[in-house]
Amino acid sequence: MDEFILLLYNVNMHLRFTNTKAIFQLLVWLLVLSFSGCKYDDLTIAVPNENIRPAADFIKNNYDTRLFYAALRKTGLDIEINGEGPFTVLVPNDLAFNEIGVFRDADFDQMNLDSLRRVIAYHILPRRLYLQDVPTNSADVRYATLEGSELYASLGGMAQGAVVPSNKLCFSGAEASRMDVPLANGVLHIVDKVMKPQFELSIQDWLTKEPQYSVFVEGLKKFGLWDQFAEKGPFTVFAPTNKALEEAGITSLRLQEMVADNYLGDVLFGVYIMYQKHVFISDSDVFQIISGKGTLTYKLKDGQHVMSFGASKAYPTWLMTYNLRLTESDYIFAPQVGQASYEVRAKTDYLCSNGVVHDLDKAMVKPNQALKK
Amino acid sequence: MKRIRVIIASASMLLLVLGIVGCTKVEYTQIEEPAYLRVFNNLNYVQTLDSKDDKVPFFCMLINPVVGVDGTLSEAEIVGDFLDKRDAYAPPYPSHIGSNNSVNNPEYPGKNNVLVGPILNGFDLSSWAQVPSGKLRVVFAYRPKNTIPFFQLEPHLRKDILIDTVINLDGREVYTLHLLQTDFVTKEHGVLLRQENFHKLSLSDSLVYVNFYNMSAKGFWQADATLKDDDYKLASFKSGIKDDMNVFLSLYEDQSKPSHIGATVPGFKGKYMTSVKRNTNLATVSPYVSFPLWAGSTADGIMTPMWQRFDFFVPGMDMTNNPFYAGEKNTGGNWAAVNCLQNGKVAVTSGDNGTLLPNLLVNIHSGKDNPKTFATVNTLEVVNGRIYLTTIQRKYAPPIY
Repeated sequence: MDEFILLLYNVNMHLRFTNTKAIFQLLVWLLVLSFSGCKYDDLTIAVPNENIRPAADFIKNNYDTRLFYAALRKTGLDIEINGEGPFTVLVPNDLAFNEIGVFRDADFDQMNLDSLRRVIAYHILPRRLYLQDVPTNSADVRYATLEGSELYASLGGMAQGAVVPSNKLCFSGAEASRMDVPLANGVLHIVDKVMKPQFELSIQDWLTKEPQYSVFVEGLKKFGLWDQFAEKGPFTVFAPTNKALEEAGITSLRLQEMVADNYLGDVLFGVYIMYQKHVFISDSDVFQIISGKGTLTYKLKDGQHVMSFGASKAYPTWLMTYNLRLTESDYIFAPQVGQASYEVRAKTDYLCSNGVVHDLDKAMVKPNQALKK
Repeated sequence: MKRIRVIIASASMLLLVLGIVGCTKVEYTQIEEPAYLRVFNNLNYVQTLDSKDDKVPFFCMLINPVVGVDGTLSEAEIVGDFLDKRDAYAPPYPSHIGSNNSVNNPEYPGKNNVLVGPILNGFDLSSWAQVPSGKLRVVFAYRPKNTIPFFQLEPHLRKDILIDTVINLDGREVYTLHLLQTDFVTKEHGVLLRQENFHKLSLSDSLVYVNFYNMSAKGFWQADATLKDDDYKLASFKSGIKDDMNVFLSLYEDQSKPSHIGATVPGFKGKYMTSVKRNTNLATVSPYVSFPLWAGSTADGIMTPMWQRFDFFVPGMDMTNNPFYAGEKNTGGNWAAVNCLQNGKVAVTSGDNGTLLPNLLVNIHSGKDNPKTFATVNTLEVVNGRIYLTTIQRKYAPPIY
């Protein structure tokens, strides 16, 4: 290098007094040389750290998802979702766990480990599912979960005539409150409640298992509505608790006394059943966007009474609340038989093998309202 | 001398190259003695909370399919995949090909890249596919609503068959095949194969022709309103029309003033046209009725802004003794109206009860005139709570810019 510069210097000296043009030419050459001649032997580039925030680590480091992390660790899924992936993790926040009675890590210890693992694995999809991957204005798009079963995704994307998308994304009834958090090995969505898949349990199995619906089950059996719940369906059931039925004057004792033929079973107990549909509470909101109508009005099987179902977030709690209203007929001024509102979101959307069950804390029909005329 | 030799040599080289490149044998697809077939899926669906668990009538049409031992469909001679519900308007040319990138096909052949019909007696049949004549086995198989071609679906998704039937087509005849619901209560389905005759009639090109069908399912208009598609755009057609109806035509002067109480063409305000009977099994062609193309007062022989309104009244009722107020949509199947103007998307401002369809007349740039109005041959089909318009147009002169 040094010899080369010396040589150039000599040439330069030689030309100095002869030709100014040549000097310019030489300067250009020097410029070119200065670009090509420099060697950067000691230049180092930092290797990017590719191992930042895989799914479980990210969840661990987030103070609002501690309980989900505790569940992951307990079930051993934390190691699995720190793997290569890709994964989509639907993470219920701590509030969602509090609502189902889980407040600290130790609360998971009382649960059946296998059941917990299945439910937690149901919150993980072995794919990368961003909001944009879900078809706009779609309902019940099924995606396979890590558990092996499928969940239902619904997206109220764009209302008719709207300029700004609504993008209400729900997974088996749980609404994504924060979407598209990128992870090194996938994507994360925060959901506002824990999904409650019952897997193989049919509505019949599930209602039998839960003692607070024993009077409801008795009533269904008495009026010949029980056996259908072992079949394929799908059904949507708003299950009134024993306490709710008691307030309307229906107890186990009273049911035994009742003569089934004197009552309209399809009204007294059929009012709680929606046939050939599986409806999550959030569907009402999603279809409000998709079709402009979030309420569902249908006739009960007696062919007279009209039931209307709808759900929305309303003042003052802004919690997803579902409303039921029963009228005597479809006449516009028909008298109202019963009405109920329910806003405990943790106790809705039990997804059984043949439908969905929602808890209900108020009876819709009193026995004397369902007497045959 | 040398130069000539070089020229000869290079010329012969060029010839050799041309000889190799230029000779490509093109094998044209050809169907011997074809019939011309157009297929519509009249089974409709809406996306509402009420219908979310219903099976979506989204099909793959297979002609002469091969069925495996396990009942799986593995291949077919002719495949019309992604057959969606039909559009309210079936245009004279398959113009929806260029206007969207969805695979869903509102009719067959529609977007399919197949041999289409020729110009027959002046009518352009590019919306009809050529199919072999004779006995054909036609299968409509349910398919999931996605973009995966039928034969790439998992085998268990290729077994759900709605219709499996045999149709008989004569060579060089024009057919429309309708997939229909025949009974609203029992949910039975069927097909209706209609042998069209418009290309055999001596139709004038200064008259606009239209015929009517009611292919509604049995028991539709009687059914409870909660069981019908919930779509406000269907207006008075939503609850269906009764089995016997009379059709009345009103011609309005100007489609830039969309009002049903606007100026009408003299002699065409509620003019009786024909009657229509519900029918889902007889394939007879309804007679065409006509109205003059240049009836409007502003018509100049090149362009007319005229638009049409059709009122369907139950026998005994007409414009003069109609008991309903103009905006009444819930007429119990006694009265339904449709406004045919512009592109079928422009609402009538006068608060009427009509649903919307495009104008029966085609206004398009042709020759030096832009636009020029053309007379057409039309079919209006009522299926359950909806009405569909199919327009057929003669071949016309290309535009000169």
